[in-house]
Amino acid sequence: MLTLEAVTVRFGGLVALREVSFGLQAGEILGLVGPNGAGKTTLFNVISGLTRARGTIRFEGRDITALPLHARARAGIGRTFQIPQPMKHLSVRENLTVAQVFGAGRHDPARIEEILDVMELRAQGDRDAEGGLALQELKRLEIAKALATEPRLLLLDEVLAGLESQAKRQFMGKLKELHARFRLTIVIVEHDIETISGLCSRAVVLNFGQVIADATPAEVFRNPLVVESYTGTADA
Amino acid sequence: MAPAHRDPRIPAPASGKPWRNAALVGACLVLAALPVLLGASNYLLGLLISALILSGIALAWALLGNLGGMVSFGHAAFFGVGAYASALISARLGVPVLLAIPLAGLCAALSALAMLPTLRLSGPYFALAILAYAQIFRILATEATGLTGGGAGLQRFPGLPTILGLDLGSRTGSYGLLVAMVALSALAYEAIRRSHVGTALRAIAHSEDATRVVGVNSVLLKAWMLLLSAFMTGVFGALNAHIIGFLEPAYAFSGLWSVMPIIAAIFGGYRTVLGPIGGAIVIYLFDQLVAKDLIAVGHQILLGLVLVVMVLIAPNGLLGLLKRRAGGRPHADA
Repeated sequence: MLTLEAVTVRFGGLVALREVSFGLQAGEILGLVGPNGAGKTTLFNVISGLTRARGTIRFEGRDITALPLHARARAGIGRTFQIPQPMKHLSVRENLTVAQVFGAGRHDPARIEEILDVMELRAQGDRDAEGGLALQELKRLEIAKALATEPRLLLLDEVLAGLESQAKRQFMGKLKELHARFRLTIVIVEHDIETISGLCSRAVVLNFGQVIADATPAEVFRNPLVVESYTGTADA
Repeated sequence: MAPAHRDPRIPAPASGKPWRNAALVGACLVLAALPVLLGASNYLLGLLISALILSGIALAWALLGNLGGMVSFGHAAFFGVGAYASALISARLGVPVLLAIPLAGLCAALSALAMLPTLRLSGPYFALAILAYAQIFRILATEATGLTGGGAGLQRFPGLPTILGLDLGSRTGSYGLLVAMVALSALAYEAIRRSHVGTALRAIAHSEDATRVVGVNSVLLKAWMLLLSAFMTGVFGALNAHIIGFLEPAYAFSGLWSVMPIIAAIFGGYRTVLGPIGGAIVIYLFDQLVAKDLIAVGHQILLGLVLVVMVLIAPNGLLGLLKRRAGGRPHADA
């Protein structure tokens, strides 16, 4: 479904991503792992079109490297931001309407209500998306907006951060439900080993902008290179 | 057959309280007809005509500022291009004036195409770019003497025609035509504001990346707003040209056509539809009937003071102030 070939991003003298290459099968849930500053969010920015990169990105067989941000959303790539970015001065329902009309190219109010229900945001539907929501509600709105564009590939950037373990397990169940219900392929950035192991069939590890491991979560978290990237020592 | 029931959980589309809007439109039209019904003097009608021209430009400016999120200091360019285009199309090509006016609007929109690269700029950078752009047209109009008459101006072009026995060139006819054109512009603005495009534009103004990431082509929507705003301004420039019957670059491209609409729109409340219209009428009449008497030369300085006071006591403008006094919501949507 998605193929990255030698993707490289430089910010001045800093190489944020170096020759990153991997593929993604339709229906997969892939964990994107790595210490802070490894390049995970930059990679999401590259796939979603927010950051330009060298290399080639193919989505469903089509070269989308030159497509701008809005065109990638219309092509079927939805994403969330680590720090929620609601459309300010719009209600929650208006946020979803704009996402659906422009991202999916149609207006289906029943579908919007369905997404509000699934994301447990119906009660907040008419609230101002900027000032009327708690942080976790904003994170659910991020996912709801992306779902409204009717994506086939969903990029989730630390949507479980800040949740306690019980709430995290519940939210993992919600993500599995979304994966099945909307037939999604998901890439999720997450630090928590339990989450990656419980949710993903595969994990890719980035460190200093390079892929250092690509295997099942169990294999990845036993990999000495991965352990070292997190702890600074292979013996930890 | 069983009646079709809508899912009660799905909120009805925003109706916008049509009875209230209809009453508002009716009240505005009655108010607009009052000067004619009460037999206002030609002098007063002349002032109101100029105020309505300003209303049209202020509305076009607010369309770009409120929906497009762009502050323009260059609407004088669109006004001047519309004025010259209509005068030349009707005089040189023999096109009927009422057809030349929308064509002049299209010319103004075409002239705005040169501004499209600046849409990638934001805030003060866009404002500065469009300010410089307006000066280019003024210079062009002055130098292209064969076409525009240069600094000597352009006088020989037709005025507004008589339609169905109504002389649009008369003060009463021009006033009626301008009321209709301002109303039409306001309806077009409101239709866009209430559409999905209007909602997306509101979002772009405050959260552009968040809007683009869900599929909104923000540059395209802003471009449409710029072209529409230029078209509206060009139409009012053309109307003004045929009403006054004389054009020169220093007048048609005067910076006042850029500054006055800004003052009027902010004074009235630029985030509303009625605000720029009301603001233009109040500001223009204040300028001509009060400020000019107090300071003969440089009377516009008083407009600056009035605007500062208004921004301090009512940031949402005159309409916001009236709504607050009436106990309404601070965010005026009329």
